[in-house]
Amino acid sequence: MNDLGKGNPEFRICDFWLGLRAIIVKDIVVELRARQVLPTMVVLGMLIVFILRMASESALTGGAGPVLGAAALWVAFLFSGLLAQERSFASEQQNGCIDGLLLAPLDPGTIYLAKLLANVIMLTIFEVVVVPIVVVSFNLHVTGGWLHLAAVLLLGNLGISSVGTLFSAAVQLTRTRGSLLSIVVLVILMPMMIPATFALLVLFGAMSGQTQTLASVQGSGALAFVGSFRAAVGYMLAFDAIFVVASWLLFEFMIYD
Amino acid sequence: MLNVCSITKTFVTRPVLRGVDLDVPEGQAVCLCGINGAGKSTLLRVVAGLLRPDSGSVTINGHNIRSDPEKAKRQIGMISHASMAYPELTVLENLVFAARLYGVPDRMERIEELLTGAGLMSYRHDRAAILSRGLLQRLAIARALLHRPTLLLADEPFTGLDGDSSERLLAIFDQFVRDGGTILMTTHDTRLGLRCCRRVAVLDKGSLIFDAMKEKIDPDRFADDYLSYARGMS
Repeated sequence: MNDLGKGNPEFRICDFWLGLRAIIVKDIVVELRARQVLPTMVVLGMLIVFILRMASESALTGGAGPVLGAAALWVAFLFSGLLAQERSFASEQQNGCIDGLLLAPLDPGTIYLAKLLANVIMLTIFEVVVVPIVVVSFNLHVTGGWLHLAAVLLLGNLGISSVGTLFSAAVQLTRTRGSLLSIVVLVILMPMMIPATFALLVLFGAMSGQTQTLASVQGSGALAFVGSFRAAVGYMLAFDAIFVVASWLLFEFMIYD
Repeated sequence: MLNVCSITKTFVTRPVLRGVDLDVPEGQAVCLCGINGAGKSTLLRVVAGLLRPDSGSVTINGHNIRSDPEKAKRQIGMISHASMAYPELTVLENLVFAARLYGVPDRMERIEELLTGAGLMSYRHDRAAILSRGLLQRLAIARALLHRPTLLLADEPFTGLDGDSSERLLAIFDQFVRDGGTILMTTHDTRLGLRCCRRVAVLDKGSLIFDAMKEKIDPDRFADDYLSYARGMS
């Protein structure tokens, strides 16, 4: 049954991309079969949008649609995303599958990146479903352009997923209490949610000076700190870069120590 | 082939491994016995690189599991009581996934060979979720041998298997050793373990207290003595 050494080139360096792609494809196939994460995300997201839409009926006639729409989008993405991503490593706990992954000749960082990308894909699918519903429900006009909107949502998606994936690993692999970590994750994500909300408000034309170029739109109140659309995107980029790299580095310590 | 040097491991305040040394040459099968909590599974997980020891080193064919993990892990196949199979994937998909992780070059030919050898060919399109314990164990064995490892780690491989499945597993172990492979196996069933292993070692409270070649002992007497010892300890 075994054929030692034959066809096992002396320590062929395992292809990083092959391992990465294998885990991403496996996660998506498992999700499509199990149908646990995406339906949960969509139902919770729709529920959040529906409740906010109903609760803000009178405010919408007063022109508060863009503000409420931006809030509805991020609240839906944040809570649905974190709820779904908590399952990311739960599936690896069945039948000791996590041991199978860790036994493979892959850098632990590759496992984290693959899980992160699988979560980004899932959240993107969710966004594709929910964004048009929010745009129609709150009567939004994407004055900043759909391409900018897609870019901002992708940056937010990456930020939520980078922290959410690490959080999932922490809960599942270290058997830490999930409820406590959820709070920590939400606090960690706060610095990104402020510029993310600012960026959507600009794109939906809710910020003062929306007729000016995007780079010079000024914030007001609590959002004044962000300053401009360009700065908001910069903050989001910086957050994503810091947390993807930090989580990638931390993952190895988390699984072994 | 396998060199375990002064391994210590403590969980919180409880020492589980206390300076374990073990050298296993190529082509040798070692049966590691010990009562529950003796540290057998922990030792196997340390050797596999799934746990980091507090001190000591593990080298497989000259590759240190800490400093050269990718090359060391390519040498290892592992079987435990958990199948490591995704219930949502079919038998074939589970093996294809594992083959991709290891970058097995002749993927489909190798999988077909293992499916035939494990008697799983007719189950290849069945999801792992519906397989019996015995069939899952066969899938776990196929997965462990997929990348042609030189060291097989088996943690209680006979648990939950019926007589036929145990015999099949013994035959696979025999073939693996005949092909030059090395086995480190933990088991409570010393009689089964001694059938396929040339060497037996006993771990007690994290220390190796017995280590002998099979030809130096009377296997039946050893099994009886071990049973008395285990009863006395529990």
